[in-house]
Parts: sequence; structure tokens; C-alpha cells
Amino acid sequence: MGLLLARIRAAVVAVGILMIAGFAAPAFAQQPNAVNPNASVPSEAQLFQKLNKLEGRCSIPDAKACTLEQPAGRDWRSFHQVTLPWIGAIAILGMLLVLVLFYLLRGMVKLESGRSGRTVVRFNAFERFVHWMTAVCFLILAISGLNITFGRSVLLPLLGPDTFTAWSQWAKYAHNYLSFPFTIGVVLICLMWIAGNIPNRVDVEWLKRGGGMVGHDHPPAYRFNAGQKMIYWIVVLGGGAAAITGYLLMFPFYTTDVTGMQLAQVVHGTVGVLFFAAMLAHIYIGTVGMEGAFEAMGSGEVDVNWAREHHRLWLEEELARTGPNESQTQPRATPAE
Amino acid sequence: MLIKRADRQARRGNLTAALGHSSGGLDRRAFLRRSGLAAGGLAALGALPLGSVRKAQAAGPTAGAPITIRKNICTHCSVGCTVMAEVQNGVWIGQEPGWDSPINRGSHCAKGAATRELVHGDRRLRYPMKLVNGQWTRLSWDTALNEIGDKLMEIREKSGPDSVYWLGSAKFTNEGAYLNRKFAAFWGTNNSDHQARICHSTTVAGVANTWGYGAMTNSYSDIRNAKTMIIMGGNPAEAHPVSLQHLLEGKEMQRANMIVIDPRMTRTAAHATEYVRLRSGTDIPVVYGMLWHIFKNGWEDKEFIEQRVYGMDDIRKEVEKWTPEEVERVSGVPGAQLERVAKMFATEKPATLIWCMGATQHTVGTANVRALCIALLATGNVGKSGAGANIFRGHTNVQGATDLGLDVVTLPLYYGLAEGAWRHWGRVWEVEYDWMQSRFASKQIMETPGIPSTRWFDAVTLPKDQVTQSDNLKAMFIMGHGGNTVTRMPKAAEGMEKLDLLVVADPHPTTWAHLSERKNGTYLLPIATSYETAGSRTASNRAIQWGEQIVKPIFESKDDNEVMYLLAKKLGFADRMFKNIKVENNLPVVEDILREINRGGWSTGYCGQSPERLKTHMANQKDFDMLTQKATTGPAKGDYYGLPWPCWGTPEFKHPGTPLLYNTNLSVMEGGGTFRPRFGVEREETLADGSKRKVSLLGNGYYSKDSEIKDGYPEFTLGILKKLGWDKDLTEAELATIQKVNPTTPDAVSWALDLSGGIQRVAITHGCVPYGNGRARANAFGLPDAIPVHREPIYTPRPDLVAKYPTLPDARQFRVPNIGFTVQKAAVDKGVAKQFPLILSSGRLVEYEGGGEETRSNKWLAELQQDMFIKINPSDAAERGIKDGGWVWVTGAEHNSKARMKALVTERVGKGVTWAPFHFGGWFQGEDQRAKYPKGADPVVLGESVNVLTTYGFDPVTGMQEPKATLCQVRAA
Amino acid sequence: MARMKFLCDADRCIECNACVTACKNENEVPWGINRRRVVTLNDGKPGERSISMACMHCTDAPCAAVCPTNVFYTTADGVVLHSKDLCIGCGYCFYACPFGAPQYPRVGNFGSRGKMDKCTFCAGGPEADGSKEEYEKYGANRLAEGKLPLCAEMCSTKSLLAGDGDIIAQIYKERVTRRGYGSGAWGWKTAYREGIST
Repeated sequence: MGLLLARIRAAVVAVGILMIAGFAAPAFAQQPNAVNPNASVPSEAQLFQKLNKLEGRCSIPDAKACTLEQPAGRDWRSFHQVTLPWIGAIAILGMLLVLVLFYLLRGMVKLESGRSGRTVVRFNAFERFVHWMTAVCFLILAISGLNITFGRSVLLPLLGPDTFTAWSQWAKYAHNYLSFPFTIGVVLICLMWIAGNIPNRVDVEWLKRGGGMVGHDHPPAYRFNAGQKMIYWIVVLGGGAAAITGYLLMFPFYTTDVTGMQLAQVVHGTVGVLFFAAMLAHIYIGTVGMEGAFEAMGSGEVDVNWAREHHRLWLEEELARTGPNESQTQPRATPAE
Repeated sequence: MLIKRADRQARRGNLTAALGHSSGGLDRRAFLRRSGLAAGGLAALGALPLGSVRKAQAAGPTAGAPITIRKNICTHCSVGCTVMAEVQNGVWIGQEPGWDSPINRGSHCAKGAATRELVHGDRRLRYPMKLVNGQWTRLSWDTALNEIGDKLMEIREKSGPDSVYWLGSAKFTNEGAYLNRKFAAFWGTNNSDHQARICHSTTVAGVANTWGYGAMTNSYSDIRNAKTMIIMGGNPAEAHPVSLQHLLEGKEMQRANMIVIDPRMTRTAAHATEYVRLRSGTDIPVVYGMLWHIFKNGWEDKEFIEQRVYGMDDIRKEVEKWTPEEVERVSGVPGAQLERVAKMFATEKPATLIWCMGATQHTVGTANVRALCIALLATGNVGKSGAGANIFRGHTNVQGATDLGLDVVTLPLYYGLAEGAWRHWGRVWEVEYDWMQSRFASKQIMETPGIPSTRWFDAVTLPKDQVTQSDNLKAMFIMGHGGNTVTRMPKAAEGMEKLDLLVVADPHPTTWAHLSERKNGTYLLPIATSYETAGSRTASNRAIQWGEQIVKPIFESKDDNEVMYLLAKKLGFADRMFKNIKVENNLPVVEDILREINRGGWSTGYCGQSPERLKTHMANQKDFDMLTQKATTGPAKGDYYGLPWPCWGTPEFKHPGTPLLYNTNLSVMEGGGTFRPRFGVEREETLADGSKRKVSLLGNGYYSKDSEIKDGYPEFTLGILKKLGWDKDLTEAELATIQKVNPTTPDAVSWALDLSGGIQRVAITHGCVPYGNGRARANAFGLPDAIPVHREPIYTPRPDLVAKYPTLPDARQFRVPNIGFTVQKAAVDKGVAKQFPLILSSGRLVEYEGGGEETRSNKWLAELQQDMFIKINPSDAAERGIKDGGWVWVTGAEHNSKARMKALVTERVGKGVTWAPFHFGGWFQGEDQRAKYPKGADPVVLGESVNVLTTYGFDPVTGMQEPKATLCQVRAA
Repeated sequence: MARMKFLCDADRCIECNACVTACKNENEVPWGINRRRVVTLNDGKPGERSISMACMHCTDAPCAAVCPTNVFYTTADGVVLHSKDLCIGCGYCFYACPFGAPQYPRVGNFGSRGKMDKCTFCAGGPEADGSKEEYEKYGANRLAEGKLPLCAEMCSTKSLLAGDGDIIAQIYKERVTRRGYGSGAWGWKTAYREGIST
């Protein structure tokens, strides 16, 4: 955090360099007084005592060229070389470890009351399309993103430089181009599901009872329980942050300078690895972690019993809305696994 | 895979071995050489011989083909940097640093380092074109020259020869410039001019009127010897960057004072030890302010003044008026600072004065220059190493083109226009005087100065009776001169529209192609650049360097000389004009032209620099010492580099050239000299009581080393030689030639007219300077202001001072009226200074040169300056809501002129001052005129020209314009 | 073995931009790519100084450290070079570089970066010395011909020095001693973790 603050300070201070670096310069030297142009020549060390970045004037119409020196690159380097890999490794490996342990200890969360044979629509086709579009993009973005941070140490020795570059080049293209559907997905997710994801009192109860993960409790929940809401907000906020910072990096110097881009990359990298770690949990719970959960995004219809166990309040609402004797009571030929 | 460098040592080419590598990397010696830090001797160790062939391992277009090195001179200023071109299969593929040059030691500025692009030719004019109903149409050279020739003859018939203006170029070689002046003479007009008019014409006039010759007295490298240097009205860090190598190294080695006096705190000032900010156009008050302190404290060099200066007492009288208070009131420079500067200048010697356009481009330009010379004379700072008037000129060969007479007041080499001059050149050219006179409208107009390039459009547009020649100007034939460097462009556009014929012979279309609404009668002829032309060029220090043709002219471009030959042929005087010049495939042999110059160039010492000697110098640059410019070894041993003029006598006489003018510490045969008594041997003065006395203008008890005459003496003639008994030293052949020059009174034949060089030879053998030994003139009687006096600019921001310091009365000069006084009075009466409260000054950028067409067409340079801008002080900008980098409209004080450009808000200019570069063109009063250029030949960068805004004002002596001090208003666009 | 470095003597630099165009000329660098540039501090004020800047060929180069595809390598002369074949144009070297050296041609529709280009100390790239491929990708290989970078060789005031770090440091020290002032070796602390004590 200190690093980030320093960076922000650098950006602010750097803007004023001309004025600050002027030392003994008179406010307006219009009066033809004695000037020894050599008397106030700055040295690099003096300037760096006041500034984090040296900027001046240059004749090329390219603002970035006018930055003479930005040793902050060194801090960014240490972030990229040390901090980010550690954060990433801890978050991702830690999450995997937790999930494996959880699975070993708890196993799959079974449908306790068994399948009723009746289903209820949980996500319509559009919702599922948006979800999967976003999810597929996310996975590719995640893998291609992780490649940038970890590829050199993990993949390069295996693939050799030429193959690794070819792969990374495609990964970069994929990362750049798939960012667009991903961003659209995040926006749609945000709009589509925001109504069900406003935190409320039920969530407190749900959280208090640990979401029912431990033991065989089933705290009540509306359409989205607090855990899902967390995923939602991670996707919306994390995805949003990743998208914004990503575009700052993708459109270099349109709106920001190198300091801004370093900041953007710090945010992008950190959010990216944490996002990925969180999504691992999401994937776990949506697949092997819970019986009947995948159907929600698979076919879009879930067993009523599943709904009752996990989203009792929502089911009640649904039933109240559509009436208890709807046609979807027909047993499905092949229940989703 | 990525460590192939490990075996690189083995692969290094032969050059590496030649450089004497011991252990891989460059050793110290090789390093010093390659970085140009070694002195000459050391540099010789691993030198590439001229024209040597290096194996092309490196990949230009073709690997394996041999690479030849050819040397030419950078065209972008007068420093004279050697350009080393690598040529492969006739293509210029690379540039190398010319380490051996004693002038630039491998260095270049942005322009020199990018000069190869010029011959890439992306934006060059490809073939002759003509404007037909507003459309550029291609035509052949034959058709073009035929049509032009016919039209010229038609105009000649109808309006007389003076209705055609021959505007030449400072980018000509010496041979081209000479030929151009000769061409105008054979056509029958003195309307022949070039860029010197608008750069250093006032310097040439002012300096020549003071001590004899109009040129830099010392050299760039000699500035290293100065203990104090004052740069007044110049920004060499941008205009002559390589000169700064000498200035800054000199400053470091001598711990010298480097003082910059300028309205702008320039990039040069950033490296100075002291910066003095003055108001534009107040140079004389500042110089007199310095002299006030010098005289008051007795810091002047009394012995020097006594022996070598005429009229200093008259100056004292004028200086008395310039008390510190008055100086500060007028110029804004505080007395205490000026006293400090004056003391350094007068007591920490040798001290030199460096000036450029800041001093010259004023209505008082000549007087400014004179004042600067007087400051040097008062302190004894001329004629010695580390001192002198170091006048930095602006093009490769602007000195040479000036010398060779591209000037409305003289034939080549300052012979003037009097009958004697015509007869002298007639003898050299071997044409009869009567025939020559028949070419002109009259003998009288033949001896009358022509119209300066600053006034050509006035000569087109003014009523016929106001132009003192048979008719108005009807045609302009322009070879290598931009249209946007002359002030008052709206008037120029008007003039262009009235011309019957406009011919632009240039590598680029230039601003002439787009300015004005002409629809017909404009021709563009593609010309070879200087790099595609062989010949000699004279640098600012008077050194003449031979440039080889690097590559053949690209596209359909033709050499200047070829075009002049073809046109002379068409106009019917080629046989006479090229009588002694061999022409091969329509191309005059340049060596022959230079030999003809040598045969006639006695007055200025252009007689000893034969093509062979110059080529030897170029091939043996490594033998010359950078500091002294003298060859210490080799075939040119003893010569000064480039045989700086005057190089007396015939080439066989082997005069080494004159590195420092008027240097009495050397004998004449080693390059010494004295001041030139050019304005008579004595003068009758009227004293206060009305009585008259005669005062000698000859040297008073001083002489150059080894002189047999230990006092002043007049110029040498056969008669003088006879008086001294030295005529016996003349050979029979020499005497016969003298006899032929003036069969009736051979005794009157002078050192300057003697085509044998005998009189010069004999005088020098006796240690005497052929032109005599005189005193410099502090009082330059004959000039409008014999004693320089301050005169406010025409458009002054201080109308309150005009009553006391008005400009000179209206007068007719150079065939046109100069109504400066009327204009100034009207400006004061109308309160123009209130309406236009900001001073507008203009100048150079390092990336561009002159009108800027060729440099703005060079993508490597154009990228660095993409927009026309105006510098404005932060407080002026704040008052007007102008932001740095924002667009502004600038309006000028005449013609309702306006120009759109970007603002550069900076403290470099003081409050109330603005500054803009003059290199831009292609926009006119806010309109982008790119579409008016021939397709594909438009420069990369276009912009508004500052000269749209500049105003009236002309120096009475030379017709110099005033782009350095006018008024404007700026508002956010 | 020589350790090649750049040193810009700001007390000599006059922002003439010769280094910039010499670089363009020698390496045929296209419009928009500025391997070298000159920056002026305190522009127009007392204390104005200009410094010519390009890749400083850092010790422990940050660009090399952060490059995801490991395109950089340091030659035996201490010159930091890179392989354009391996570059994917991610821009990370630019974030890490203290001197703004990496340049990217614009390719694609949205400001996307092409393969990185930067000063090579006129030492080409991984291809065979002096080969056509090397010239087209990286420009000239002067070092292999026993020549120094053209920017420094053509510097108008001998402000920009290139060559063995020890020698140029020595030259700079001698200069400062002789003239009595010097604003220091700009960028050396950052690039080489050492200044020049004068």
C-alpha cells in the first residue's frame, strides 16, 4: 500500500516539477536583471530529493518522451517480480489447498432430501449465455494473464523460447480481444442480477450459520445467498476493475502516463490473481462441491428440492408467483449430475 | 541461443584491426578517436583514407557491394561541417562522422545528422512543372526552358532587362553563385541578390565600412582562445550548434566569461555565465552604455586607438549622452550589470563579440554592426587570436555567395559597379566593355545598385514612376530562395499575382508554389541539392572547402550550373559567358569556373585557392590542427585549412590563407595583415571654429610583422612600387600583363586590378599588405549615420521615445522609396502600440533552416517540430487565457494580417515579448494550403509563416528588413 | 572486457537533437519511434539543462527482469539487446524502464503495441552481425565494425559520450575538474547504481 501511495504522490508531485525545480527562479523574469544562468543548475540528486520523477520539455509532441527519468519503474519491477507472484501463488495455491481439504473433509454437499423430480427455472437461456460467455472469456483471460506473470518461470523452460513466444503472442491477442466480450458479460451480469444481489438481513443470518457449508445446516436464502452475492460482487467489482485497468494498459497513453499505467498494472495483476482464486471457489461449488448446483447454469432448471434446501425463500417467491401446480412438475428424463 | 555475442570479437571486421584493438572492446586511443575527443595527431593513427573502400558487411540495400566515402559540406549553416557520405551502387546509404575535419571534428547538429534524407527525396520536386489554369502540369526540361526563355525575351523587349529579377541562393557553390551573378550581368541588370540581403547584408556593410572587409575576422575554433565572449543578438546553440563545441570547450578551458545579451533567454544563454535581457532594437544604447563605463573608467586600449582607429573622439561625444540612467530607460538594462559586463569585456582580454540576426535585422542594422565594431576597436579586441568580430553566417555558402557578388551593389568580390569594375571583369571574362554595356538599358543604370530582395514586390506593385528603372518588375527567376523569409508576406502575395513570369528553380516547390492565387505563368524546375553538386563553399571563417558530388542528381533534377548554361544558350549569350569555361554535356566544368574566379578575385584574395589546392586540403583534413587551423604535416603543410581569404597571389605563390584578419603578429606571407585603408588616405575635417584640417587615414606607427614599411601606407599600385623601387622585383611577364590592363597609365594599376598577381607578390615579399595599412573607422563618414545613433524601430512599443530617437527621414534607396519615417509617425499617431502591445521577434529553430522547405520535408527533422508556435510569457498568456500548447490567433500591425499557431508559454521571453520561428510556410492567414503544392512534393510539416505578420522597415544602407522588432497582438483561438 | 555506457554531460548539451536524427539516419527508425530524445529541465529559466536520453543499458536491467517472454540479453560489452522475434509487445518493459526507452510501433486497431524497439547501442540484435535481417530489425551494428553509436559520435558539443564506462567516467571527471562545475552523470545512479564522484 505504501508503494501505491508513493506512486500517487509521485504522480501529483511530478506535475509540478517545472515550478518546484525552478529553485531560485523569479516568478516572472521579465525584468532584465542580472541572471547567472549557471547559478541554479539542478543536480539529479537534488531533484530526486523533492521528486519521484523527472519531467521536462521536449520538442517531440509525445508527452511520455518528456519524462526524463522515472526510477519508480524499479518499484514496479519489484512488485511484478516479487509481490505479485507471491500474492498470486498464495491466493491461487492457497485456495486450491483449501478446496481440496474442504472436499476431503466435507465431500460434496449432497441433496439431502433427494431429488423431487420436479424442477424450477433458475436461469433462463439469456442468463446462461451471458454467464458462459463471461466464464469462458474469463478462463482464457485468466490463463493468458497468468502466463504473463508465471509463464516465464513455468512454461518457458518446458516449451522453449520460440514456442513459448508463439503461444504467448496468441495468448496476448486472446487476452486483448476477449476482453471485449468479457467486459460486456460483466456489465450484463451486473445489470441482470443486481436486484437479487443487494445485501440484506437474510445474508447476516446466512453468514452466521456459515452458509451451511459446515455440518448439514440450510440457512434460508433468496435467489442468491450471501456466498453467491460475494461472487457476484467479486465479478462485478473485480471484473470492472480488471476491465478498466486492462483498457488503460491496452490503450497506452490515451488517458494516463507511465505512472498511471504502473498503477493500473498493479491493480490489474492483483485483482486478476485474487479474482482467479475466488473463481476457483465458485467453480468448485458449482461443480464437484455441491450436488445439483451445476444444473442451474447447465440446463437452467434446478430440482425443487435443491432449491428448497439452498434457496428456500426464493423458491417460495417463485411458487407464489407462478402457482404451485405448474407444468414443470414432469420428471426429467435425465437428471443433471 | 541468446548469447551469440560471446564470439563476436572474432567476427569484427578489418577496421577493428586497423583501430588497434587489443582486448576486445575499444581501447582508450581508439575510443578517443571514435568519439572525436582526440587531437589531430592522435586522430591520424587510424584514419580512413579519403575515398577508401570499406567492405560492406553492414546491410544497406546490398550486401557485398563496395562502399565509397565522399565528402561534402553540410548546407544548413555556415560552420562548414564535413559530411561524410557512404555511397553504394550510386545510393547514399549512410553517414559517418568526419573526424578529420578541423572545423567540426565529426560533429553535427540535428540537420547535419539528418542530411542524407534530402537525397532520399521523398518530397523532392521530380520534374519540371508549370501552372496551367491553377493546375500543376508536367513538362520536359526542353519545353520549360524554351517557354521561359521566350517569355523572358518578350519581357526584355517590352520592359527592358531590369524588369527581370535574378534571385540567387546562399546554397549555391561559389561557382554557382559566381555564375549566377555573371548571368545577371550578361542579361544586363543589377537586380541580382540572395539571402545575405536578409541576414548579414548589414554586417557586410557595417564591418567593411569599419575596417575593410565584410566578414568574420577570426574563426569558430579561434573562439577557444577568448577569455571573454559576448554573444549579442545571436543564438548559436540553435542556429550554429557545432560552433557551441568551440564556445563551450573554450569557456571550459579558459574559464572564460560567456555573456549573452538578448531579448530571449536562449539555449545559448542557458550555458552562459551571465545573461543580459534587453528590449529588442536597443542594441546601440546597450553598446554605448558599455562604452560609457569603459571610457569613464579608462578601460579603453589607448595605444590601439591611437595607432589603428580613426574618429574615436566623435564616438566619445555620442557615448556621453548614454548615461546608465538613459540606457536603462531605453533598453531596460541596469547600469550595474552593464558596468560589470563592460569591465569584463575591456579588461579580461582577449574578448570577442559574436553576433547574428539579432543585431543585423533592424532598420538600424548597419549602425548596430558599426557600434559593435566600435566596441571592439575601443578595447583593442580586433586583429588578434581570441578576439575579433565573430559573425556567424547562416548557410553553407552565404559568405561565398556574398563574396561572389550576388548583391545588388557590386560585381563579384566587392569590385562595385563603377566603370572600372565592369572593365576589370570584362578583362577577366574576355568580353568587350561596349558589348556588356549594350546589354543594359543605359550606362547609368549599369552603374546603379539594383533592387534588394526585400523590396522586389514593392518594385512590382508600386506605381511605375516610383520605381527608378525603365519599368516595374515583371518576372522573378528564383534559384534556391524561399518566399517566406522576407517580411510583409501579404504584400509579396500581391506582388506575385502581378508578375508575368515566376520561375522557381529549387529542389522543392517552396512557398512560392502556394502563396498567391496565381493560375498561370509559374514554372517549377527541379534542381540538384548541394550534395549532388561538386564545387567549393566558403564557410563563415572565410575558409573554402571543396565538396564532392555525393550522388548524381535524383529524378530529373539538374545542377544549377547546367540550368544557367542552358538558359544562357537559349538567351543567346552562352558562347560569350562560357568563353573560358569548358562545358561537358551541358554542364560547365566547376574547376574552370573556380579558375576564372581565381583570375579575377584579387581584391578579396580569392586568387590563390585553386581547385587543386582545395582538393588537397579536403583529402588531407587530418593534417590540420583544430585550434590553429594550420597543417602541421602532409602536402598542405603550412597552409591554413581551406585557405581562408584573403589568400594572396596566384596559387603558385602558395599563400597559406588568412586565419585571422588584420593580425599584425604574423607577417603577411603567414596570414598577417593590417586594417585596410579603403576610404582614402586622408580626410578633410571641419573643426568647430569652421577651419579645416586634413587627417591621415593611414596606420599610425603600427604595421604587421616583418613589414619593411614601419608605418601606415596606402594600397599598392605599380606607381607606388616604382616610388619604393620595388618594381624591379616584377617579372617581365607580370609587367606585360600590367601594361595590358591599363596601356595608357600602367602606374595606376593596383593590386586589385593586376591580373598577373605581381603587385601582390612583390608587396608581400616586402612584408606589406597589398591593400595598404590603414586605420579602422570609428567614424564611417559617408554612411547615413557615420556615428551610430539609436533609432527606435518603426513599430516601437515605446512611442514616447520616438520624438527623441526617430528613424531616418524618408528617402529613395535602391530604386524604390523608403518611407520608414512616415510609417513610424503614422504608427505613433494612431497609437498602434496600444492596439498591438506585444513585441514580435523571430528567429531560428535548430531543426529547421531558412524558409524551411527542405528541412520540413525531411521526415527525421519534421518529426521534431510539427507545429508553428509563438513563445509568450506566462503572465501575458494568463491575461489572455492562453494555455501552453493551445491554438492562438496572432495579429500583425499591417495589412490586417493574422496567423494561426500554437502557444508555447515560457519564461524564455520576458513580459510583453513574443517570439516565433520563421521556418514555417504552407498556411496563409489561417488557411492550410497543402492542396496548392504539386502532389507529393508538399513538405511533411506546414504552418503559418511569421512573416505574414512582420512589417515595414528597411536599413538605409542595405535595404535590410526588420523582422526582429515589430508589434503584434495574441488571443486564444 | 569493456562495459559500454552512455553519459550525457548536461553542461554541454544544447538540445540540438543531432543524437536524435543521427539515430534515425543510421538505423532508419520510422516516424513515431524515438530511440533517443532530448529532454529539457527548467525550460527557459535559469538553471535550464538539457539531457539526451535513450536506453542506458542498465546493470541488472529492469526490462529484462520483467519481460514475460525473456527477450532481453546482455552482451559481453554490457549492452542490453533484445530479440524482436520473441517479443509479444506487452509493454511491461516500458513500465519498468526508468528511462522511457522502449518504443512500440502502433499496430492493429486500438493502439495495440507491436514488437518493442529501442536503442541497441548501435549493436544490432541476435542475428548474424551485419546481416540484412539484423539491419532490418534493429538497425546498424556499428559496434561489430569497431565503431561507437552514431548519436554520440555526431554529438555537436561532445556532450553525449558513449563507450567503455570507465573511460567516459574518466573523461567526464577530467572535464569537471578542468571547468569547475558539473551537474552529474544523469541517470547513472538509476542505471548503474553508481554515480561519478567529481
